[in-house]
Amino acid sequence: MVARSQRERLLDAAFDVVAEKGYGATTIADLTREAGISRTTFYEMFEDKEACFLAAYDSAVDVFVRRIAAAFEAEEGWPQRVRAGLRVLLESLAKEPRFARLALVDVGSAGPAAQRRYRAGLQRMTPFFDEGRDFAPDGRRLPANVSRMAIGAVVGLVSDEIEAGRADLLPDLLPDVLFATLVPYLGPAAAAKEVGRG
Amino acid sequence: MPSASPDSSASAPPPKDIGGLLEQERLPAGREALLEPPVAHSQRERLLVAMAKNAADKGYGATTIADICTAAGVSRATFYELFKDKEDCFHAAMELSLADAMGIIVAAYSPDKPWATMVRDATAGFLELLASRPTFARMALIEAPASGGRSFELYASGKRVLQSLLERGRDDPVEEEAIPSSVSRAALSAAESLIVGQILSGNTARLPELLPDIVYITTVPYLGQEEALRQSREAERRQAVADR
Repeated sequence: MVARSQRERLLDAAFDVVAEKGYGATTIADLTREAGISRTTFYEMFEDKEACFLAAYDSAVDVFVRRIAAAFEAEEGWPQRVRAGLRVLLESLAKEPRFARLALVDVGSAGPAAQRRYRAGLQRMTPFFDEGRDFAPDGRRLPANVSRMAIGAVVGLVSDEIEAGRADLLPDLLPDVLFATLVPYLGPAAAAKEVGRG
Repeated sequence: MPSASPDSSASAPPPKDIGGLLEQERLPAGREALLEPPVAHSQRERLLVAMAKNAADKGYGATTIADICTAAGVSRATFYELFKDKEDCFHAAMELSLADAMGIIVAAYSPDKPWATMVRDATAGFLELLASRPTFARMALIEAPASGGRSFELYASGKRVLQSLLERGRDDPVEEEAIPSSVSRAALSAAESLIVGQILSGNTARLPELLPDIVYITTVPYLGQEEALRQSREAERRQAVADR
């Protein structure tokens, strides 16, 4: 029980410190101080700074994906499900702008392993998008990578806003990300109509 | 990925000719690039190649000036005669190879071509270039976007040029629906994400196979599904013919 809470404290600390100082400038001493644990305890749990950061990253992505999934599952019909999931995504990121920047923008500079984790995190969104293939009139004709590309479009638009310092305004982006998600599956006419349903 | 002013192309209409676009972004075009040449002659060239290779292999952040000098067989003193610091060297390497990528876009561009054909030809050329230059692919699409600073600005400029070319699809949309002004950025991000995913999973040499998918995602907001699928199949057919 104690071990678990130390681990949780450390993961929280890792996220806060890296968000504050940047990954490169963060030291293990920063992490142990922030979490209130000893250096020995740190090395019992993680091999190095990178392993700790990656674990923190994974656990944060986990929380996010579960939140999105809950909103998605609560609705009927794929366009409404996607709208609900995207809304929660945008609102959650807007509430935690430091997390948003770290998770979507700064992760690129934390080395190859972090980049792979980031990609794996994105892939966890695939099931929400793949349902669009079943919903689309003739979904089997769509290109093999359509869901990957739709995820890339959403993440690109969201990252641009964060990079421009407008993370707090992310919820306003809902019509744009919804259109970008729907258009490859439904075409522009039907996508615009769904966005307009508000 | 991010740009300093994502909506700049919406506020200022892009110049219709590609030369004007490149000038607007202050990007070089049509110059011979030197990355991955058979032999790099000058010390400067060797340093640029070493910089790109190291950044591609272990990441820009982890690359040291000592790594670059050792790989290039050049002294530290010479490095500092040629470059201010590591970032300066990376920027020079990025600038040089970006010239090649822009050359490909220039070659695909012609005001007389149908827009969808231009998108297809430019995408095909770009994917071929990335596949044949894995070092450039990693540097330009993975390390530069993450590097911050001036190299990030170069990457963002290149992306704005591509975005302006895609924007032309708005000139004569087949379907009349109001589409958001962010569609070109969204489509470009979709294509980029797919390409980066392939590079990170070690499939850089197979990037040209993504052509039909990318043709679909970049044209569907403007042309509608039927026409985008037709364009995508056409890209696949031409590719199959070229491979034979």
